[in-house]
Parts: sequence; structure tokens; C-alpha cells
Amino acid sequence: MLKNFVMPDLYPAAPELFLVAMACAILLADAFAGASRRWLAPVLTMLTLIGCALITYATFDGTATLTFANMFVDDPLSDFLKLLLYVAIIVVLVYGRDYLAARNLDKGEYYLLLLFATLGMMVMISAYNFLTMYLGLELLSLSLYAMVAIDRDSPRATEAAMKYFVLGALASGLLLYGMSMIYGATGTLELGRVAQTIHEGTTNRTILVFGLVFLVAGVAFKLGVVPFHMWIPDVYHGAPTAVTLLISSAPKLAAFAMALRLLVSGLFGLAEHWQSMLMLMAVLSIGIGNLAAIAQTNIKRMLGYSAISHMGFMLLALMSGVAGAEVDPMALINAYSSALYYIISYVLMSLGAFGMVLLLSRGGYEADNLEDFKGLNKRSPWFALMMAILMFSMAGIPFFVGFFAKFSVLLAAVAAGHVAVVVLAVIFSLIGAYYYLRVVKLMYFDDPVDAASIRAGLDMRLLISLNGLAVALFGLFPDSLMMLCTATLVRSL
Amino acid sequence: MDLKTIIFYVFAALLIFAALRVITARNPVHAALYLVLAFFNAGGLWLTLQAEFLAITLVMVYVGAVMVLFLFVIMMLDIDIKRLRQGFWRNMPLAATLGVLMVAEMALVLSTDYFGPVAFPGTKMGADYSNTRELGRLLFTDYVYPFELASIILLVAIIAAVVLTLRRRKDVKHLDPVQQVAVKHSDRLRVLQMPAEKEGE
Amino acid sequence: MLENYFPVLVFVVVGMAFGCMPILLGWLVSPHRPDSEKLSPFECGFEPFEDARTKFDVRYYLIAILFILFDLEIAFLFPWATIFKEITATPEVKLFGFAEMLVFIGVLVIGYVYAWVKGALDWE
Repeated sequence: MLKNFVMPDLYPAAPELFLVAMACAILLADAFAGASRRWLAPVLTMLTLIGCALITYATFDGTATLTFANMFVDDPLSDFLKLLLYVAIIVVLVYGRDYLAARNLDKGEYYLLLLFATLGMMVMISAYNFLTMYLGLELLSLSLYAMVAIDRDSPRATEAAMKYFVLGALASGLLLYGMSMIYGATGTLELGRVAQTIHEGTTNRTILVFGLVFLVAGVAFKLGVVPFHMWIPDVYHGAPTAVTLLISSAPKLAAFAMALRLLVSGLFGLAEHWQSMLMLMAVLSIGIGNLAAIAQTNIKRMLGYSAISHMGFMLLALMSGVAGAEVDPMALINAYSSALYYIISYVLMSLGAFGMVLLLSRGGYEADNLEDFKGLNKRSPWFALMMAILMFSMAGIPFFVGFFAKFSVLLAAVAAGHVAVVVLAVIFSLIGAYYYLRVVKLMYFDDPVDAASIRAGLDMRLLISLNGLAVALFGLFPDSLMMLCTATLVRSL
Repeated sequence: MDLKTIIFYVFAALLIFAALRVITARNPVHAALYLVLAFFNAGGLWLTLQAEFLAITLVMVYVGAVMVLFLFVIMMLDIDIKRLRQGFWRNMPLAATLGVLMVAEMALVLSTDYFGPVAFPGTKMGADYSNTRELGRLLFTDYVYPFELASIILLVAIIAAVVLTLRRRKDVKHLDPVQQVAVKHSDRLRVLQMPAEKEGE
Repeated sequence: MLENYFPVLVFVVVGMAFGCMPILLGWLVSPHRPDSEKLSPFECGFEPFEDARTKFDVRYYLIAILFILFDLEIAFLFPWATIFKEITATPEVKLFGFAEMLVFIGVLVIGYVYAWVKGALDWE
């Protein structure tokens, strides 16, 4: 007889269960369907994501529910991030389709790995326990390693996958080591109880800080911030562009959730320690990311370095939650919602920018050099305008979404009293504006290298236009999204 | 010093010796075999901590499966040992510094007495205590969610292994026994009706 | 608990002695007069043609990796077997205890079917 055990409530995890069931069905359907029914896997994948979105929306109840022995949390934050995640993955599916088909990479396995990566991110977003956080991360990472290497005949993709795998395994090791230290100090893996034990102050702080260092290193690797950024340029450059599009977008949402849950929900009692670590990494990332991006001629690499600096900005917001000794709930929510707002706007911009790279590539030809954007205005004024909007927004020029994201982060940092850091961040983002504006200059003032017209499906043209317009519209009306972020965090933290 | 302590030191000494030899052995096959020895000793150490399930799993999974794969890979690959050892002395100072740093950090942590024998005296279990059953009780009740996730991670590994390594070879000639058995005489022999021909015409 | 393992310890010691003694004895007792002919690998009287190590078909690794993945299941099945009676004797979670392993194995069986259909287990 087992005592004190009741069956876990499966209802909060309904989207995950649906996704697993569908993924297994797609796996079998694709294996038995044969080459003539290749359309089956992408269509079913799309339906699965839409189904997950409907389930997540239908089961939304505005409160935090814990299940599976407090390992799984279903709160407004997780529902909100999951809905954004589905949207990002659907966009990845649409943008990547033609590119993959032209390179014969649109195998059923690609879609399956995409679904399992999505599941991994969902697990991370809903994790309330070190162990489930780690397992979600591994599920995501394993799927991504395989997706980077899915073009087996490309030496560059294989090299990128190898680097990603080796460094990723190292980072996972660091993360696990940190988790085991914290487990040793607190005697629990559950985030809420870790926070409680630290709050009671009965544990050894040396061990906790020691574990925290490794934990932060692991999280920093997954976010890709300096000094754990080495993999970003190579992986962004080497992976097939459709996979780069994925890596640069949705996992950032999951990594944000991981950082927020581990550092704020779990280790809030050590905020004074992790804040200084995050500050160092934020400043270094914004500096090195922006400076190194200037020297790039390959746009995928350039966007990779830009991702490093953007993640630095996100860390800037995360570290501004607590100023000094007393905790001000308003400042706390402000800082974290500006971080959430920043990550959402970054995902939106990154999807658009890599979508444009995919739009320009055709057949076996990659349009991943800056040269390929020369004279885009003459080839297609509309898409040149979309790219210009995206670049302006990434550079943080008013009034696009990227500007308000940066602005709210800087406000939060000033409120926390980090004026010197803010000045540094502003200087480096002004330097960074140069390489974004260079793309605009190439598009409008240079002559095209090749004059081929842009061919893409209607859905992709429509979605990429929508993506660019969203960046402009959220910039004109930033309040609604900001309020949504704040409301979500108020109800979840 | 009781018997348990003696056994601990024997296992620990062998483990350190084997681990050192994994790094210093010139022949990679020897290194892999020393790693097997290291795993065995680590299993022994775990057993003295009464973690019998972990010890058995380590031997079964790592020694029984992973290391056998390793050994085959090493023996079947063209490894140019000379080329692998190039740059050893060039990278040595950095590696040694990092190693010393890590040892110092570990020593700092372990010397705080937090993980010492005072904090964790170890529990003496009866003869009918089963570590496996205790693990099972937790794994299949509270930890059912991570447990099911593990199966999905294994599934992803299967998919990744197949998609990354499976290649159909076109140049292989092989027989399909199913087709061989299913063959009918009409597939092989065709009786033609031909008009008779006269000789000499 | 540990006293249960005393026979195992004795077995290990005896096994080690049994393995090491002949080597040690041979090394101590036998004469050592090596020359280059004695030390060269013997290949049916031929001079060795080439290095013994050659590139191996990648398909071998696929089979080996699949073996490891399925071999790992034992780490989960074994503890489950030890508590199976206990969990099925608890009325509220009777079916749950059975179903959880069914799901686990089911997911892996799907992977197995997939590998089979894709031809990963064929040796052409």
C-alpha cells in the first residue's frame, strides 16, 4: 500500500498531453505514408499547434495551479508564454516551408523535432522544479542539435551542430552542478520550497552562492550572453536558415521563463548576488554584441551578434527588479514586465528579420550575405519597407516596438539606480544602430546585384507583411501589450 | 578502521588511479578500458553508500552498453594518435591552471564542513532495506512527470539517430527472402506458343 | 543492507586474484628474450598488409545507439517491478501504476516501429 499518494491532476497539462499524442500520431503517419504524402506532416503539425493554442486558451483561468507533485505550474505567465510560443512556431513553419522544400530538408523528422522542441519549451515554461526545468531544457536542446545537423551534406551545418552540442552539453553540466549544490543546501528541488528555505535563512549561504554561480552560467549559455556566447555566431551562421529562424525566436521565450522561474521564483533570496552577475553579463553582452556585429558581412552572423546584445538588454531588465535592501512590488513588476515586453518584441523582430533572409533565398541559393540586400527597394519596394521597419525597430529608433522595449528597460534600470550601466547601454546601442542602418542604406541607395524577382507563397508574403506591420503598430500603440505583460506578471508572481 | 572504511579506500584509490590512466594512457583503447575500471570502482563506492540501484545501473548501462560502443568506435576508427597529441604541451599551462582552480574551489566547498560526515552521518539500514524499492516508490508516484518526459527524450534520441545516420546505399546487391519465397513459377518461366517450323525452310 | 553484499565482495576479490595471478606468475617465472620478430603481429605468416583500423560503416553506430536507448529502459523497468505489487494494491492508483509504464513503453514502441519502418534495422 502506498500512503499519501493521489493521482495527479492532468487537466493543467492538457496542451502538453495533446501535443505528445499528436506527435506520436504524426510519427507513425509519416513513417507509413511514404514519399507521396509528404504534405501530411506539415499539415498535421500546423493543426497540432492550433489545437494546442485552443486548449491553452480554453483552459486559461487566471490562477496558478500546481500539479504532478508541484512539478508543473499552470499560471497566467505560462499560458501567455505558451500562446506566444505557438504563434512563433507557426510563423517558423510558414516561413521555412519553401526554403526546406528547395533543399529537400522538409522530411517528416524536421516537423517532429520541431514539435518535440516545442514540447521541451512548454515543459520549461511550466516548470516548477529543478528537475523538470532540466528535462525540458534537454528535450529542447536535443531536438535543436539534430535540427541544426539535419542538412547532413553541409559541412558547415555539421560543424555548427557539433559546436552547439559540445558547448550545450557543457552548459547542461554546469546547470546540473549548480542545481545539485542548491539541492544540497536546501534539501529540495521544488522552486517554492527552495525560496522558502532561503528566506528562513537556516542554510549555508556559501554553498548556495556557489550553486548559484553555476546555475547562472547555465542559464546565460542558453540565453547566449557574454561570456557564454561563443556558440551563437557559428550556430546562427552554420544552421539552415529555417532552423536559425527557430533558434533565434521561440527558445528565447523559454529561456526567459527559465531565468524568471529559477532566479525570481526560486532564488529571490539571493538577488543581491545574481544581480551583480547579471549586470556584468548585460554590459558585456551589449558591448561585445554590438561591436562585433559591425564587422560582419554575413547577415545571419550579424543578427546572431545582435541577438547577444538584445539578450543583454533583457538581462538589464531582470536585474533591475530589486533596488537596495527593500523590495518594492511596483518596481519589481515594472522591471520584469519590461523584460517580458523586451523578449516579446525581440522575438517578433527576429522572426521578421530571418523571415526576410528566407524570402530572398531561392532554389539552392542562400541570400545570407549583406550584399544580397543591395537594392532591394528596386526589386520589391514593399518588402524593402518591411525590412527597413524591422531594422529601425531593432536599432531602437522611435517609434517602433524595439524603441519602447529598450525605453522601458532603461527606465526600469534608472529606477533601480543603475545610471552608469544605462549610459553605457545607450552608447553601445547608438554604436549598434550603425549596422542596422547599413542594411537600410544597402537596400535603398545601392544597385541590386541580381535582379531576380522575389517569389514566395501568398501565405508567406502575407505573414511577413503582417509581421513588419505588427512591429510598426506595437510601436505606435505600445500600451496594450505592456499592460498585458504587467497583468500577467501581477497574477503570476 | 573498520572493514567498510578499508573497502572505501581501496575503491577510491583504484578509482583515482584508473581516472588518471584514462587521461595519461597513450593508447585510446587502454584509456577506454581504464574508464571501465573507473566506472566499476565508482559503482563500488555507491554500493558502500547503500545506493545499490545506482551502482547496478552504472555497471549495466555504462559498462555494459555505453563503454562497449565506445570501445568499438575507438577500435574501428582511424585514429592518428600522433596527430591527436599535437598541441598537448601548448595547451598544458591553461588546462593545468583551470584544473588547479577547480580543485581549489572544490576543496573550499568541501572544507566548509557542510557536506562533511557531521552533517550527513549516513543511515544504517536493515538487511531487508531495498534502495531500488525506495527509488521506485518515488519515481512512480511523485516523479511520474519527469519519468514520462524521459521516455520522450529517448524517443527524440531515436528520431535524431535515425535522421542523422540512416543512409540508403544504392550500390549494395542483396536478396530479399520474402520475394524469394513468394515467387511463383509463372514469374520465372513463360511457356510460349510458337508455330512449328519446317526444317530447311 | 551492506552485509548482503559480502559474498559479492569475496567474489570480486577472488575474481581479481584469479585474473591477476597467472599474468603475474607468467611475468615472474618465464624467461624474457624479446626480438622484433617475436613482437610483430602474427598474420598467418604474411607480412601485415595494412593497419588493422579501418573506417567502419556508420550503420553499425545506428544499431549500437538504438541498442543503448532501449537498454536504458531497464533502469526504469526494474524499480517498477519491485513496487508493482505495492502500487496495484493501493485501490486509488491501481490502474495508474500500470498505465504509467504502459505509456512509457508505448512511446518507445512507437519509436521502435518508426525505426523499423524507416529501415534503420535492416542490414542491406
